[in-house]
Amino acid sequence: MVERILVQGNEAVGWGALSAGCDAFFGYPITPQNEIPEWFSREFPKRGKIFVQSQSEIASIMMVYGGAAAGFRVMTSTSSPGWALMQEGMSHLAAAELPCIIVLVQRGGPGQGSIRHAQMDYLCTTRGGAGGYKNIIVAPASVQETHDLVQLAFYLADKYRNPVIVLSDGILGLIRESLEIKTMDFGPLPEKDWAVRGRERHKDKNFRFVHSGVGTAAVLTRGYPNYVSWLEHMADKYEQMESELKYESYQAEDAELFLVAYGYPARVCKEAVNMARTEGLKVGLFRPITLWPFPYQLIKGKAESGGKFLVVEDSLGLMVEDVRMAVQGQAEVHFLGMQSRHLPTDGGMILPSRVLEEIRRLSTDEER
Amino acid sequence: MARGMIIINEANCLGCGYCEKFCSRGCILIPGDKFSPQGYLLPVFANPDRCNACGVCNWMCPHFAIEVYRYIENQGAESS
Amino acid sequence: MKTEKVWAALNVLVFSPPCPGCQYWTIGRIIAEVLEELDIEDKAIAVMGIGCNGYVSNPLNIDRVLGAHGRPPDTATAIKRLSPDNIVFTVQGDGDCMAIGAGSFIGALIRGEKFTIIMCNNANFGTTGGQLAPTTLTGQITTTTPDGRSVITEGYPVHTAELAATFRGVAYSARGAVNNPASYQRTKKYLKAAFQKQVDQIGLSFVEVLSACPTNWHLSPVESLKWIEDTVIPEFPLGEFKNVNRID
Repeated sequence: MVERILVQGNEAVGWGALSAGCDAFFGYPITPQNEIPEWFSREFPKRGKIFVQSQSEIASIMMVYGGAAAGFRVMTSTSSPGWALMQEGMSHLAAAELPCIIVLVQRGGPGQGSIRHAQMDYLCTTRGGAGGYKNIIVAPASVQETHDLVQLAFYLADKYRNPVIVLSDGILGLIRESLEIKTMDFGPLPEKDWAVRGRERHKDKNFRFVHSGVGTAAVLTRGYPNYVSWLEHMADKYEQMESELKYESYQAEDAELFLVAYGYPARVCKEAVNMARTEGLKVGLFRPITLWPFPYQLIKGKAESGGKFLVVEDSLGLMVEDVRMAVQGQAEVHFLGMQSRHLPTDGGMILPSRVLEEIRRLSTDEER
Repeated sequence: MARGMIIINEANCLGCGYCEKFCSRGCILIPGDKFSPQGYLLPVFANPDRCNACGVCNWMCPHFAIEVYRYIENQGAESS
Repeated sequence: MKTEKVWAALNVLVFSPPCPGCQYWTIGRIIAEVLEELDIEDKAIAVMGIGCNGYVSNPLNIDRVLGAHGRPPDTATAIKRLSPDNIVFTVQGDGDCMAIGAGSFIGALIRGEKFTIIMCNNANFGTTGGQLAPTTLTGQITTTTPDGRSVITEGYPVHTAELAATFRGVAYSARGAVNNPASYQRTKKYLKAAFQKQVDQIGLSFVEVLSACPTNWHLSPVESLKWIEDTVIPEFPLGEFKNVNRID
């Protein structure tokens, strides 16, 4: 019997984490993701799992560090200003190669920004933070997908011993949709023999040392002769992570104009594509599901066969840089962003009618 | 009559002088003319017959450069 | 003649010794003795801060985690909550604990986490060359207070053990030193009592240990111990500031 409930995207994070066997949630209040720590505070303790409200996001991410170091499935969530605070912890997690997931429910920025939706953290998530690490980012576009991708994120984090970001936004977090709760199995994972559990729990009775200081002599404790050889291992790992590429293609087979969008604008674009198709316009949508790795080859291929691109992102132009990089100058890349919101306020959204207007304009230009 | 003895591990010694300061029986002295290969001033077990194996030099040495042995009657030495 | 080392072997994880006269290996050795005597070595997990206090962990043959500067109490919170049967303790310096880590420290004190925090106090930021730290004494010259710590611009040294004692979730707070054999044994008693609080699951235990830093104090090792006795201990008195067997 399929269990379906009607929940917000933020709550779907919790149900997904539960299905994934998450052991602990550490978090701090920040709008528009407060439903996430509140969900965990209600649902985790009674199931014998750990919930801690920390004193700051700096603390949350370092609690994640500890839980991950001890071999548990742990996570945190935040919004954009809190994400800024987590940069220190992210760098250490990446260096210590600790698996965990971070759910980032984007809001307007920079600084305190707005408390409502936006998509302004694309670069500071896809490019990694201090120290040049990389991490996989999965971006849902529905409540169901939020639940599903949280589970995939836990799997990928364990598979690669790397943090994984689940990138949502203030709209996806708060809309209410039907959710089918299910446990997803992505395959077997190796044991976490490297985790700190107390010497008595290690078969070889040797102590374990989890640390983020791999640029010094400490790298010897990780089994690498020097810093650069460890960096080579990291480069290999990042290359393997690129095989986890995921995207959705919608009406793109015969398209001449390709919309590129993720998150709530992707749903808006789907609607716009539908409307445009009724007018005979050959437009399709590419929705990256992993923002890193990014579908560069896919876009390059379409660029080489004469396609045009319209990137729709609720920002001043962030993902558009990746699309421009992908086309390598061989195609036109246009951008529709925050300045096209239906209202010039924090509550303004990019709406299908506006995207359709742009599709029409770009399609008309073609006939010149 | 000595109740114990010490061994100074000269490779570990960094010449801090705590052993000379804390030995309450004056067993350990720093003569000032004995150096380790790195140039640290080394102590010597100058008055071994006063040693009672109290172990204080071993506690206070911050570089684990002193081992202390207590003599057991008719059975040879035991470490402390 | 048999040699049997009383404390954990020093062949683990030693890249280099600390400075001549630094007492961090001594503190580490005391912790090793306490863990062994309480028979909790196999369950112990150390969460290390950043700094010379890292040397404290060298004599310990136990699982350890090293993360970001100042954050051990957060990291330890997660480990202890997820794995409460492990004996979890942090080893931090005075800067790690009360400068950059003050927020983390206070968070753990407020929540009354049931682990042990050990703060090694040498009144400066040692590893980076001897800068001002929260526990630097008034008038003490450091590389960032070349004219001596001024109370006008740098405030007064913080009394961490006394501060920790004011939190309701703290079961034990003490300050020790290792400037002479008597202090060594007292500090060992304090550390043993602190770990016992964790074994008995009472509340957070905190021990501050004064330590010599001859290199950055620009004193010889023996002079450093004298400075601790004459100047540091009067400012930072030794003793237990809180010792309760239940938290209400």
